[in-house]
Amino acid sequence: MRNGDGNLGLRAQALSVTLGGRTVLHGVDLEAKPGEVLALLGPNGAGKSTLLKALAGLLPYEGRVEIAGADVGSLSSRARAKQISYVPQRSLLRSALSVEEVVALGRYVHGGSFGGMSKNDRDAIDHALETAHADVLRDRIFTQLSVGEQQRVLLARALASDAPILLLDEPTAALDVGEGMAVLRLIRTLAARNHTLIVVLHDLADARSTTDRALLLKEGRVVEQGATADVVSAEPIRAVYGVKLVENARIGFEADPEGTGTDAHTGTGTDTDTGTDTDADTGTDTDTDTDTDTSTGTGTDTGTGTGTGTGTG
Amino acid sequence: MRLYPLLFLLLLVAGALAVLVGSGDLTDPELRDTFLKLRGYRLAAAFLAGAALAVGGVVVQGLFRNPLASPSVLGTTAGASFGGQVALLTYGLAGVGGSFVVPEMTVPIGCFVGALASLAVLLLFLRVTQDLLALLLTGFVLSALFLSLSAFVTSVAQETWELGRAVVSFSLGSVSGTGPRQLAFALPLIAVALVACWFWGRSLDLLLSGEEEAQSMGANVGAVRWWSAIWVSVLVAGAVSVGGNVGFVGLVVPHMLRPFAGTKHQRLIPAAALAGGVFLVACDIIARVIPSRSEIPLGVVTGLIGAPLFLLLLIRLRRERAYA
Repeated sequence: MRNGDGNLGLRAQALSVTLGGRTVLHGVDLEAKPGEVLALLGPNGAGKSTLLKALAGLLPYEGRVEIAGADVGSLSSRARAKQISYVPQRSLLRSALSVEEVVALGRYVHGGSFGGMSKNDRDAIDHALETAHADVLRDRIFTQLSVGEQQRVLLARALASDAPILLLDEPTAALDVGEGMAVLRLIRTLAARNHTLIVVLHDLADARSTTDRALLLKEGRVVEQGATADVVSAEPIRAVYGVKLVENARIGFEADPEGTGTDAHTGTGTDTDTGTDTDADTGTDTDTDTDTDTSTGTGTDTGTGTGTGTGTG
Repeated sequence: MRLYPLLFLLLLVAGALAVLVGSGDLTDPELRDTFLKLRGYRLAAAFLAGAALAVGGVVVQGLFRNPLASPSVLGTTAGASFGGQVALLTYGLAGVGGSFVVPEMTVPIGCFVGALASLAVLLLFLRVTQDLLALLLTGFVLSALFLSLSAFVTSVAQETWELGRAVVSFSLGSVSGTGPRQLAFALPLIAVALVACWFWGRSLDLLLSGEEEAQSMGANVGAVRWWSAIWVSVLVAGAVSVGGNVGFVGLVVPHMLRPFAGTKHQRLIPAAALAGGVFLVACDIIARVIPSRSEIPLGVVTGLIGAPLFLLLLIRLRRERAYA
């Protein structure tokens, strides 16, 4: 089951969630396919995280969330956790567990009540640590890591469960630019390995660079759904956020293979541009990446590729 | 794995001292056997109670994600003590069960009900707030409540002199008067509960990350919580029925152990059982050797060690801002 083999994706129909007497999600339909990254977008309070938790089976809901032909709500917590892994924005873990021990928690669904670890467990943990580029952190204490490092460990914990469907709640929030890019690159790597990923993002540029499809929420309702480039475009963004979308307006960043600054978590991931200089169907897009790399490979150089181009205003 | 040889060595030393140290004269051949037997029971009672309370501490600390929790701090021990008194009183006044039921049997059941009742209040309270200090305060309130109820039971029990004496001596609690019959009832209870806690260890590890994450990783949070509470209640009931109300063992022992045994429950629980046993046996020896007109109660010794540690931990937590 590693790498999301046999993954059938996730489908939600007429999903509504009522919390404390208030309906915070109204009849959401969505589908996430294997090998695909679906972004959940929307302003604060739109219900993105609530939707994610409902999909993970962590909140009571009305409607149907289907994985592998079964409704999430009807599965035992164990059966559900074998299919779906949920990665919170921050872990509430405060105890002094090592990174390896934290990742080993992800194997819970496969183990009995006895303490021992099978070879399969250890392989899964190694594989997960490697994939998330967290193997160098293995013996560190989780609570002493930076937020970005913790995020990679939480991803490794989710991967260790061998669940094909991964739900990530704002995985790049509170990360610096290098850490954030490492996580986004990891998301692409996992999609390439046939995982299904549903990711709450608040950065629309990240959504454009990393996700295939997007779902835009406002006040608990779906405003727009489809290819990310279509969803994150002028009209829906204006309608939901009340701002004007400007293509290629700001500086963007891309990973620098020579730089050492964020090298601990770069590794062999597929290189995807982040920032606003991604190709969208907006006509003439002269993507001139001027990589101002003066120092050769030393120092903390985060290659500032300033994407300049003519966009739709 | 150097921890276990050390713990076994300590157990050996403490065990030997526990048998040899005391006011009785072992050179008198007529009394020697009696002294040795009494000290043997006492050693067994202290070890069992210590093991049970230490593991109880480990489990409630995981259960409530609160490093300051322990059966005595949370009012579980007070609940058990009150339950035991009520059981004694009902047995004494109503003669429940006739000659088939003995107080050695009714007391642990009463203790169990009392302990579980106080843990149940805390578990229900968790739904309202997860604040560390609020939880501790609720524990203190429960403790105070059960102590005042105990005072009431004690006064009711004074109607007959024998019953009054039994209730008072039970509530003072001591391992010195523990007989083989009490041990025979407590031993299987504690042994089964220790193993059960160990089995829930993996689930308790998940709970360290909070309810939502534990659930997302496949734990049935409700089942983990209630079963842990039930087994902790059995442990505390067993401990109180052989040793009375001894505080702070469940706080001191896990904290002494974590640097060596780590945080994972399945490693911590067996170590805590051993270390807790050794700790209480050692405290009992101290209680015997400190010169005083009458013997110092065991709970006073553990309290003198535990209370300052509790304050130290509280200060450290506040500094780390580990609660919110």
